[in-house]
Amino acid sequence: MKISLITTLLIVLFLILPRPLIWAQHDDLHSWTQFRGNERNGISAERDLLDIWPEQGPELIWKKEIGTSFSELLISDKRVYTITGEKVDSARGYEYAIAFDAATGNKIWKTKIDSIFIDIDGWGDGARSTPAINDDHMYCLSGFGKLKALSLIDGKEIWQVDLVIDFGIPVPRWGFSTSPLIMEDVLILELGGKDENAFGAFNPQDGKLLWKVANGQPSYCSPIIANIDGQEQMIFANDNTLFSFNSKGESLWTYSMPIRRPTATPVFIEPNKIFVSAVSATGCFIIEIKENKALETMNNSSMQNHWSSSCYHNGYIYGFNVAALQCISALDGNKKWTKRGYGKGSLIMADDKLIVLSDKGKMVLVEASPEAFVELSSFQALNGKSWTAPSFSNGKVYLRNLTQMACYQLK
Amino acid sequence: MKKIKIISLTVLLVSALFFSIAQNAEEIITKHQNAHGGAEKWESFQTMKISGKFTGFSIEKDFICIKARPAYYYSEYYLGKYPITESFNGVSGWILDYWQDIDFPRHTNKAENNALRQKSEFCTPFFNYKELGSSVELMGKENVDGVDVYVLKLSRADGFIETWFLNAETYLEYKCESPWVDFAYPVKSEVYFDDFRRFQGVVLPYYIERSFGSRNRIIEIDEIEFNVNFDEGKTQMPRSPEMEKLAFLEGKWAVNVETMSRRGNWYAVDSTNSKIAFSSTNLLEEKISYERMFPMVNSNNYSYNSNTKKYRLAVYHEFMSGLELFEGDFKDGKLVFDNCHISYGNEAEISQAFIQYTFSKITSESFILEIKGSTDKGITWTDQEKFTYTRIVD
Repeated sequence: MKISLITTLLIVLFLILPRPLIWAQHDDLHSWTQFRGNERNGISAERDLLDIWPEQGPELIWKKEIGTSFSELLISDKRVYTITGEKVDSARGYEYAIAFDAATGNKIWKTKIDSIFIDIDGWGDGARSTPAINDDHMYCLSGFGKLKALSLIDGKEIWQVDLVIDFGIPVPRWGFSTSPLIMEDVLILELGGKDENAFGAFNPQDGKLLWKVANGQPSYCSPIIANIDGQEQMIFANDNTLFSFNSKGESLWTYSMPIRRPTATPVFIEPNKIFVSAVSATGCFIIEIKENKALETMNNSSMQNHWSSSCYHNGYIYGFNVAALQCISALDGNKKWTKRGYGKGSLIMADDKLIVLSDKGKMVLVEASPEAFVELSSFQALNGKSWTAPSFSNGKVYLRNLTQMACYQLK
Repeated sequence: MKKIKIISLTVLLVSALFFSIAQNAEEIITKHQNAHGGAEKWESFQTMKISGKFTGFSIEKDFICIKARPAYYYSEYYLGKYPITESFNGVSGWILDYWQDIDFPRHTNKAENNALRQKSEFCTPFFNYKELGSSVELMGKENVDGVDVYVLKLSRADGFIETWFLNAETYLEYKCESPWVDFAYPVKSEVYFDDFRRFQGVVLPYYIERSFGSRNRIIEIDEIEFNVNFDEGKTQMPRSPEMEKLAFLEGKWAVNVETMSRRGNWYAVDSTNSKIAFSSTNLLEEKISYERMFPMVNSNNYSYNSNTKKYRLAVYHEFMSGLELFEGDFKDGKLVFDNCHISYGNEAEISQAFIQYTFSKITSESFILEIKGSTDKGITWTDQEKFTYTRIVD
């Protein structure tokens, strides 16, 4: 049998083209499979969004009541997945993993995963973590620290690990909040403990612990993935240290941060820089990684992310400086513009635009440009406190807060 | 001679520059006052009521405040899930803030008083800063967030310093950096003013956003009313319902002291006076001197412990240099304290002399305090002393 030149080329191309970092995506462009999207950077690669929305807002596909939790909505294979919480009285209830039909918002299955986490400060009850999904499973972390793998088909539980019982990790004041990460067939999680219990990796198929490393404490931050110098790595910010490990748990580099306890995720700036921000006098910094050594290239108080993570685009960082939407230069940290009025909102990006959700549920479309703040469109999309960042898939934005979820057509 | 001329010229130039800047600051403040409707118009307002929305922790709820000259302030609002009440009389204030795990009003500290004083101002502090002993210095002109601003440094008479950024075009305030407070801790804050509207001849910001640390607080004004009635009583700190029940103790008292004889009869040992007064919202203090063979001086402190839901009485005996702690509550119209279940965290220190204080026959004019002892940890009690309090009317 003769193999044509074209076929050979196609095979070679297939072999040498960069493999997706995550093997989760069914359709990489049109899915949102983990916290802050497939690349964990808050950016969708989709293009051609509407520049201007009608006065009453973009087309509403559906809006549904949903229970209390902060988990983002994940979208894959025409389904929406998340965690929600339902209280039976003021002090009791349950957290559920749940799957909806992406076209209608109708429930497909619902699986109880744990007792509901009740927030003592009244910020909001239920899960804090956003699950991760791959071809077969959904991996959820409850507010009380139960890590569960469920079948995507019907929500059936496959395995579970309890961070409190199995690893002796105390429940953080505001609940377990980190979001699991899938990298190179390994499920990775910040465990947040001492005695080599800071970070752990599990076999996604059976939940078997593959490795655990470092000493830390439970944070409210989630890891990201990056490919630097051809090396896949996961990057954790824990307390005042930035850690990098490969999927085998081998430390690649660490960096003593000039800030402590960031909640917003680090931001990977291709090809080899990391941006980290927290509310502190330092505010933010960027390091450059060369041969597994970190060198600080920027340090500025101009951006202080609280829990809402920033996005990087064409040399600039867009994010919430506490409660002011801001654009700063990734080169020197200088502020380019600032816009108040969205409270402690959140943002993602698509088609060179910022999709901003204010902390009171107003959705705003903003040009991702350092020249000036330009609001293209805005409307009230949800009611009430909205601390969960939007998700984007197939031309639609998916929003949720502690009481509602909604899907709007943006294309 | 030439040197003297150069020095004189330099002094003259520096002086001219100084007076020029001073003059500019005055001019800017005058224009600022005019932009707000003028000092005269503001002086015609004696009280000011603001209704609107307050956002804290991303939760928007109703907000009201009333200000009255010279520097009264009273406000009710919600911060997240808890209601907050705060008040200021120009010198001191009080706050009821459940976030601090204190479920009764308490006096405000210096940092809080400074924040309350800022809140009590009808507009900006540039209307009467001289009368209040403050000084203003023009720091220059800057561009903040794309807005050209004059930067004024305001030094208050008590040392607090604020930096104000006035829009160079409108002369209205754009931003202020001022000392603030976060759950009783002093912090630095930035406040931004927006949505200026004219109402009854004056101009006010209807959107005020303050950031400090990771906090963000927004006031959005719905309605303003001038020259409404203001009840000064609102600035009097209320007591918790529990401490209010102890108010019968407050006052000046004539006290007859009796002890129990071995034959089982009360006999008088002294007559004295006592004054019991609230020294704080959760503390009633009494100092009483009397003779029972020796001169005795006792300090009695009454408070309410919201964790144990019990009253506490701490008695300091000057003569014996002893401190005893009692816990109690009202029962059948009597207020009864004992030390049978007090733990000092060290078994060796537990008192073997169990004592009971009982306040009975309580009226507005008198009450009786009986002190009893027990050697069986409160199973049986023996009379020891009796104090009959009769109110002294000034």
